Amino acid sequence: MSYPSVYPTGVTVYNPEKCWSGFTIFPARELGALLIDMNGAEVNLWKGLHGFPNKLLPGGYVLGHTGERSNAFGMQDQIDLIQVDWDGNVVWKFNQYEYIEDPGEEPQWMARQHHDYQRAGNPVGYYVPGMEPQVDKGNTLILCHKNVKNPKIADKVLLDDVIVEVTWEGEIIWEWACNEHFDEYGFSEEAKNILFRDPNWRASGGGMGDWMHINSMSVLGPNRWYDAGDERFHPDNIIWDARESNIIAIIEKKTGKLVWKVGPEYNTSPELKELGWIIGQHHAHMIPRGLPGEGNILVFDNGGWAGYGAPNPGAPTGAKNALRDYSRILEFDPVTLKIVWQYTPAEAGFTMPVDASRFYSPFISSAQRLPNGNTLITEGSGGRIIEVTQDHELVWEYISPYWGDKLKLNMIYRAYRVPYEWAPQAERPQEVAIKPVDVTTFRVPGASNLRKKETVVDGVWSFQGDGALCVAADEELDQ
Amino acid sequence: MSYVLFTATGCTRCKIVKNFMTDHGIAFEEKNMKAEGKDDFKKFYSANRCFITRGQDGVEFPVLTDGEEIRQGIGASIAYLSAGKRLDGFFCVGTLHKEWVDGIHPCSGNLEHADEFLQVMRYLKKSSMKLQVETSGRNSHVLKQILEEGLADKVVMNVVGPTALYSKILRKPVVESDILKSIPLVAQFPSYQFQTTVAPIIRQEGDVPEISYLTPAEIGEIAKLIEEGTGNKKNPYLIRLFKSSESKDERLKSIEPLSSLFPYRTAARAYQVLTELEKVI
Repeated sequence: MSYPSVYPTGVTVYNPEKCWSGFTIFPARELGALLIDMNGAEVNLWKGLHGFPNKLLPGGYVLGHTGERSNAFGMQDQIDLIQVDWDGNVVWKFNQYEYIEDPGEEPQWMARQHHDYQRAGNPVGYYVPGMEPQVDKGNTLILCHKNVKNPKIADKVLLDDVIVEVTWEGEIIWEWACNEHFDEYGFSEEAKNILFRDPNWRASGGGMGDWMHINSMSVLGPNRWYDAGDERFHPDNIIWDARESNIIAIIEKKTGKLVWKVGPEYNTSPELKELGWIIGQHHAHMIPRGLPGEGNILVFDNGGWAGYGAPNPGAPTGAKNALRDYSRILEFDPVTLKIVWQYTPAEAGFTMPVDASRFYSPFISSAQRLPNGNTLITEGSGGRIIEVTQDHELVWEYISPYWGDKLKLNMIYRAYRVPYEWAPQAERPQEVAIKPVDVTTFRVPGASNLRKKETVVDGVWSFQGDGALCVAADEELDQ
Repeated sequence: MSYVLFTATGCTRCKIVKNFMTDHGIAFEEKNMKAEGKDDFKKFYSANRCFITRGQDGVEFPVLTDGEEIRQGIGASIAYLSAGKRLDGFFCVGTLHKEWVDGIHPCSGNLEHADEFLQVMRYLKKSSMKLQVETSGRNSHVLKQILEEGLADKVVMNVVGPTALYSKILRKPVVESDILKSIPLVAQFPSYQFQTTVAPIIRQEGDVPEISYLTPAEIGEIAKLIEEGTGNKKNPYLIRLFKSSESKDERLKSIEPLSSLFPYRTAARAYQVLTELEKVI
C-alpha cells in the first residue's frame, strides 16, 4: 500500500452537522494522554501519563499508568492503573497484583495491567447515555498478566491473561485466569500441536509464550438477549477477545466458564463462514443499551496475521496461519452471527481487493458506537482516528502528528470520544467545519499543478473501467 | 506371625517393602492383585474397606497385613515391620506417585520413638525415594534432625493458626516456641511450602460452642510469623479451602462454606508476597 511521505496531520475533515461532537482522548505516542477538540486543538495533555488505554471519566478525570515494566523482564506490563484529576493529581491507584523484583530495579508491587480495564457504572468504558462510570467509588475490572506453566498448553512459561476485580480500596475480590479454561476454547489438534511448540514465543523476560494475547475485556451490561431469557448474556458476564487465537468469547462471571464464542476457526458452520475469518482482532464488545445497535457485537477485525493451525505458504509452521491485508469493522448479531453493519475498505470507497490495504491496521485499533449512530474508528497503526456515519460517510478525520523517538510509529492504541460535559474545566470549543481538500489539486509549497500543453491524439479509444486488472476485483470473484 | 503383602505389577514401592522383609528375614506371602492375587485382594478389600484408603487415583500399594493389623503404603508398612504400633501416627497413606513418598508426619506419633521413626526415613532415603514431610510445626527437634541428615526433599508446614490458637485447633497441648522453631527450619529444606487451611475453629466449647472461621487478620498474623521466622517475605505460602466433608469433628461438617478467600490472600500478601490461593478443581 503506497503511503505518501508528506501528508497533513491533525484534523483534516470535520462536518459538524453530521458528527457526534465532543472531546477525543487518546494516548499520544511517547508524549502522554491527550484530549483534543473536534478541530484538533489540544485541550489538555497529561504529560508523561501512559495509556493502555487512556479513558476520560466524568469530571475531567483520566485513567492511565505511571509507567511500564522494563521489557527486559516483562511484556506490556503496566506498573499500575491510576486515576488522575484535571490538574494531574493522582486520586486513585491500584498496583497490588504481584510483587516484582527485577534485577537492577527497585522491588515494587505492580498491577501488570495491559490493554483494558472497566470501572463500575459503565460496561464498556465509553460514553453511554445513562451509564456513567463511577469516579469516587466502585469496583474496577482490570486485565493483567501472570506467568504460568500449563503442560496442557505448552512446555514453556506462558504469559497468561488474568482478569481481576478490585474494590475502590484496592482489594482483589475476583480473579479469572485464561489458561485454566484451555479445554473450552475449541482448538483443533493441528492448533494444539503448533501451540505446544510455539505459544507465540516472545523474548521479554527471558522468553514467554504470549499464547492468547487478550486485548479487550468489558461487561455485557443489560441487554435484550438476557431479557429474552438467554442466560449466556447475563449482564454481569464478561466479553473478551484474544488476538493470537482469533477468539471472541463471553465468560460467565459466576463460574468463569465460557458460555459463548466465535473462533478460533471460522469455517466450521455456514454462519461462521458467512461472518468470515476474524483475524488478530481488537476491542470486541457488546454495544450497550442506550446506543444504536445495542446488543450487537462490535469489533475491529484487524486482519494481519494470527491464529494457530495447519501450515501454509504464509505460515510455514502453522503459527499465525490466518492472513489478510486489510481491516474490517464488524457489527454482528451474537445469536445469528449475521453482519448487521460493517466498515471495510469497500465501504471506505477503495477498490477491493487491489486497494484494500488502504484501510488496514494490523495491530491495536478500536471502534466506538456513538449516540447518533456514527462510529468512531481508531485505525491505530497509522495514528488515524475517523468518525463515519451509518451510511459510511467520513465526517471527521484526525491524524496524529506524534511519532515516537524510541519506536518510529505515530500509532494510537485506542481513542475514545466523550461529551464536552465530561471535562467541565474546559471551555466549550467553537466547532469549525473543515471541508476535505481536493487531493487532486492540493499541492505543497513549491510543487506545480500547471499543465503546460494538452495534445489531442486521433483514433484513440476511451478508457475502460477497472474490470480487467491483473488480479480479479471483488465483483468478479462474487460471480 | 505371618504376613501377607498385597502388591501390584510394576510397583516400585512394593519391591522396596519386599526387599526390606527379605533383608530382615521376615517371612511373607506375596499376592499380586493384578495377577494371581486378584480375587484374594477383592475379598480382603470388601472385608476391610474401612481400613483401606481409596484415593482419587485408586488404592495405594503395598497393603500389608499380619492378620490383626493392616498397614497401607510404603512408609506405614516399613514402620510397622520395624517397630509394630510404636510408630503409628508418623506415617499414613500418601497421595504422591513414582519416586515421591508423602504421608510422613514428624509432628504426630509418639516422640519416645523418634529414633525409630528416623530409621525408617533413612531406609526410604537409601532406597532412592524422594521424601515429602508434612508438619504442623510440633516436634521441631525431629524436624531439625531430618534437616541435618538431609532426609527430606520437600517439607510442607501446615501453619494451622496464630501460635496462640494452636492448642485449640490441634486439640492437644502445644508449646508455642516449638512451632516458632520449626518455621526457620522449614525454609532451609531444598523445597518447601507453608500453607494454612482457612478452617472454622471452636473458639469456645459449651452447649452451644462458639465456632467461626479463621479471620483474614489471623491469616495476616500467620504470614507475619513466617516473615519474622524466616527473615523473608517471599516464601511460598498457600491458602487452602476448608472441606467440611473431610472434617473429623461432626460439628464442623455443617458449617456454611466461605464465599471467598481473596480477603485472606490480601491480608497475607502484606507479609508474604507470593501468597496464593489453592486452586479447586
